[in-house]
Amino acid sequence: MALSRRDFLKASAAAAALAAATGGRLGATDVHAAEGGIRWGKAPCRFCGTGCGVLVGVKDGRIVATKGDPAAPVNKGLNCIKGYFLSKVLYGKDRLTKPLIRKGNKMVEASWDEAMDLIASKFRESIAKHGPDSVAMFGSGQWTVFEGYAAAKLFKAGIGTNNIEPNARFCMASAVTGFMTTFNSDEPMGCYDDLDLGDTYFLWGANMAECHPVLFSRLIDNRLKNPKVKIIDFGTRFTRTSQMADKYIRFNPQTDLALLNAIAHIIVRDRLYDENFIRKHVVFKKGKTNIGYGLEDKFKFADDPKPMTFDEYREFLKPYTPEYVSKLSGVPAKTIEEVARLYADKSRKVNSLWTMGFNQHVRGTWVNNLVYNVHLLTGKICKPGENPMSLTGQPSACGTAREVGTFTHRLPADMVVMNEEHRKKAAEIWGVPAEKIPAKPTYHATEMFRALDRGDIKVLWVQVTNPFQSAPNLSRYRKGARKGGDRFIIVSDIYPTRSTELADVVLPSASWVEKEGFFGNAERRGQQWFKMVEPPGEARNDLWQTMELARRLGHGNLFPYKYVEKEMFEEYRKFTLGQGKDLAPYEAYTKARGLRWPVVNGKETLWRYAEGYDPYVKAGEGVKFYKNKPNDYKAVIWARPYEPAAEAPDRQYPFWLCTGRVLEQWHTGTMTGRVPELKRAYGGAVCEIHPEDAKRLKVKHGDKVRVTSRRGSIVLTADLRGRGKAEKGNVFVAFFDENKMINELCIDAYCPISGEPDYKKCAVKLEKA
Amino acid sequence: MSGAEEETKRVSRRHFLKGSLALPLALTVAGGLLTVPSLRRADARGFYLRPPGALAEKCFLGACIRCGKCVQACPYRAIRLAETDAGVAIGTPFIIAREEPCQLCTDLPCIKSCPSGALDKGVTEVEKVRMGTAVIIDRENCLSIRGLRCEVCYRNCPLIDRAITIEPRHNPRTGVHTIMEPVVHRDKCVGCGICEKSCVREQPVIVVQRTPLPQQDAYEF
Repeated sequence: MALSRRDFLKASAAAAALAAATGGRLGATDVHAAEGGIRWGKAPCRFCGTGCGVLVGVKDGRIVATKGDPAAPVNKGLNCIKGYFLSKVLYGKDRLTKPLIRKGNKMVEASWDEAMDLIASKFRESIAKHGPDSVAMFGSGQWTVFEGYAAAKLFKAGIGTNNIEPNARFCMASAVTGFMTTFNSDEPMGCYDDLDLGDTYFLWGANMAECHPVLFSRLIDNRLKNPKVKIIDFGTRFTRTSQMADKYIRFNPQTDLALLNAIAHIIVRDRLYDENFIRKHVVFKKGKTNIGYGLEDKFKFADDPKPMTFDEYREFLKPYTPEYVSKLSGVPAKTIEEVARLYADKSRKVNSLWTMGFNQHVRGTWVNNLVYNVHLLTGKICKPGENPMSLTGQPSACGTAREVGTFTHRLPADMVVMNEEHRKKAAEIWGVPAEKIPAKPTYHATEMFRALDRGDIKVLWVQVTNPFQSAPNLSRYRKGARKGGDRFIIVSDIYPTRSTELADVVLPSASWVEKEGFFGNAERRGQQWFKMVEPPGEARNDLWQTMELARRLGHGNLFPYKYVEKEMFEEYRKFTLGQGKDLAPYEAYTKARGLRWPVVNGKETLWRYAEGYDPYVKAGEGVKFYKNKPNDYKAVIWARPYEPAAEAPDRQYPFWLCTGRVLEQWHTGTMTGRVPELKRAYGGAVCEIHPEDAKRLKVKHGDKVRVTSRRGSIVLTADLRGRGKAEKGNVFVAFFDENKMINELCIDAYCPISGEPDYKKCAVKLEKA
Repeated sequence: MSGAEEETKRVSRRHFLKGSLALPLALTVAGGLLTVPSLRRADARGFYLRPPGALAEKCFLGACIRCGKCVQACPYRAIRLAETDAGVAIGTPFIIAREEPCQLCTDLPCIKSCPSGALDKGVTEVEKVRMGTAVIIDRENCLSIRGLRCEVCYRNCPLIDRAITIEPRHNPRTGVHTIMEPVVHRDKCVGCGICEKSCVREQPVIVVQRTPLPQQDAYEF
C-alpha cells in the first residue's frame, strides 16, 4: 500500500515534470489512478480563492479520503486544515436530500416536479404581472463556471432581466472596479510565482496567514531562503500575519487612502518615480469627490473621469504630507517616509497583496486605484516578482463571478450590458436577438435585497450562498424576505442554513465532486474536475436546476447541449478568444492541473501585459496595457482623495467594529461547521477587545459582552488573549457563526463605484453582559 | 460554544450540585458513570492533570480534603473527581484536557474556593500556573510538522507566542513552502490542556504531561 502510493506520487511528479519540460504545453497527465481499491481524481479545493489542487479518493461511491495534489503547482501536495477535512464537508448528518416546500410554518418534502412546477409558475406569474425585473437570481463565487454561465444566460438572454448578482459583490467587487478603472481589464497581471520571486511584500488589509494559508507558507519560505525579503503588514488589527511579518504598521481605519497618497507624495516629491515608465505607460485622471455612501435606497452614482497632467497630479498630492497623514492615520511620519522609500527602492522587487481590508471599503475602488498608483509611479508592475496582487476569498470568484460576468452590469470576458457592441456580441454567441439583453443594469447585491424588502423584487432564487447570514445590516433584509405578499424565495443548498430557513422552497443541491465542475482561482488559473460520486438522496446539480427552470419557462433552447459541461464551456470560450482572456479547449483542462489565461497555442500566461510572457505583447513593446484602448493602451493613475468612513465611532458608539475570517472556519461556516474537528478547533465567534479597553469596561477574558450598533446587538464572549489582537478602540468578530450573526450590526454602506459594502468599519458600543 | 443554552445548563447543574448533600460521593459516582473509559485520566506514569495551583502531587494528596469545592467553582465544568481506580487519590480533583481543558479563568475561582490550601492561594496570575507541560508526543502525525497549515494548538494557546511559538523552516518536499512547526516553551507553558483539546487529529498529538524536573549544568545555551 505504502509502496503503491509512493509509485503513484512518483508517476504524478513525472507527469508534471514532463509538462514542465514541454514548455508548459499541455502534457497528458492521467490523474485517475487506482490504489488500494480507492480511485483518485483531481479537483481544486472547495474553499478559498487560492485554488489548491487536491486528490479525491473514492471507494464504493463515497469520498473516503482527500490529500493535497503533489502535481498541483499552487500547493504541491499541501493543504490548510480546512482542505485537510474536505472529505467530511459533504457528509454532515443534516444534508438536504429532498426538495422542501413551505406549507404555513412547516417545510414539507416534495418531488422535484412539484417544486420546479411551483417555482416556474411563480416566475411566470411574476413576470406576467410585474415584468422581468421582478424576478432575480443571487448566486455565488462558489458557482462552477457552468452554473454561473447558465444562470447569466437564462436571466440576461432568456428572461430578459439583468437581475443577477453573485455574493462576490460582497467580497471583491471593488477589486474588479479597481482593475477596470485602472487597466480596463479585470484580474491581476501577476501570479503566485511572484510570492517566490520578489523580495518586498506589502500586505494591506490581508490576514494571509489565516485566510490564504498555503500562499502564506510560500511567502514565508521565500524569506527563509532570501534574507533580503521584507514583509510589511499594514493593518488595523494585529493578526497571525502581523506576528510573522518583519514589520506591522497599525493605522486608523479608513486612513489607508491617505497613507497611499502620502507614499505617492513622497515618491513624487523626491523624484523616486520611473519617469520613462510613466511617459510610456501612464495617463493621469481624476474623478468625482464626495461620492457618498449608498445608505439610501436606489442610490445612484456615475463617476465623471477627467484627464489631468502629471503636474496637476503633483498638486493633488501636495496636502498628503507625511506629517498630515501621520496625524490622520496614527502612523509615524518617519515610518511613512521609510515605506515610500522601500516601495521606490530600485534594487527591490516590490509586491502589494490585499484582500477584504481594501475591497470591503466604502472607497474600495479608490483604495485599489491608489495601490496601483504607487506601482505605476515606480514602474514595479508586470514583471516577474514585482506586482500588485488582489487575493480572493472564494474558489471561483474570479473564474465564475468575474470572468463569466454574473453581475447585473456584466457579460462574459469583461463585457458590459451598457455597451451596444458587447450586447450584440453576447446575443450572437447566445443565439438570441440583441434587443433581448437589457441595456440597463438593475440592482447590485445590497440594492437587490433592498428591492426585495421594498417588494420591487418578488421572486428571488439563491444558489450556492447564504446571504441571509452574510449580507450587511442583516436584520432589515431578513425581515424583508419574510414580509409576505407576492414575495417568493427559493434557496438551493446542501445543508439547512440561515438562508434556507427563510425560503419558500428549498432545493437540495449537489456539491463539489458530486458534479462536474470548473473553478477559476485568484491567479487566473482555470481548474476542471469530473464528477466522482453521486449526490445523496435526490440532491441535484444547481446547473440542472437552472436549466430545468429554463425548460419550464420555455427557454430550453438556450441549452441545446448533449455533453452539457463541455459544450457549454466551448460556447463560453468563444467570448474569451482574441480578447486577452483566452481559455484553452475544455479537453486541455481535463488533463492539466489548471492553466492561467490567456492560454494561446496551448501555452499559459504567467505575467500579463509583459513582453516575453504575454502573447498579446509584441517584441519590443516591453509592457503594454493592451486592454486599455480608451486610454491609448496606458494604465491610469487616479487622483483619489481621502474621505472618511460612512460611520465613525462617536460618544454613543465609541468603538470601531471590524468583521472577518479565521483559518478553521470558512465564510458562513455551513461546510466547515459540519466537521467536528474544525468545530472543536474554533467553535464559536468571540469578540476581540484590547486589554486596556476591557479593563475600562471591567471585562475579563471569557466574560460576556454585549456589542451594539445602531442596527443590532449581540452578546459574545470577550477574547483578550487570542490569535488576533484588537487595537485600542477597535473590536473584531468573525462572521462564520450562524448563532452569532455579527452582520446584523454591520452598516450597509457601500463603495458607490463597486457597490461593495464595508464590513470592516462601523461604530459599536460595548457593555458587560 | 452556543451561548445562552450553555449558560442555562451550567447554572442549573451548579444549582443541582449545591443542593446535594452527599456531594463528594455523588460527584465521584457521577464522574465514574459519565466519563468515557478511553479518555485519559492519569497517564502511563501516573500523572493526573490537577487544577491550577495544585501543590506537588505528594503534598497535594495530603492536603486535599476531597471536598469538591473546586469542582463547583469551575464555570467550565473542567474539574472532576477521581474514582475508585485512583486508589489513594480517590475523590481528588483532576482534569481530562481532551474533554474539557482548564480555560485559565483570569480570577482563578477554583483556587479561591479551595479551603485546604491544596490549591495554592499564592498563585494569583494565570501565567504562574504550572499544571503540567504540553508536549508534541507524535511528531509524525502532527499535520503542521508535515507541512500543512494547521497550527490549531498554537492559535488556541491562551499564551500564544509565549508558551507556543511557530518555528518556520523550509519544506524540502515542495521546495517553496514553509513548515510552521509549533514549539512548546516549558518555562511559559502552564499546562492548561487547551492545545490537547483542540488538536484535530483523532488521537491528540500534543498532550499535557508532568513538567520535567529542571536539570542543572553550566551551559548557558
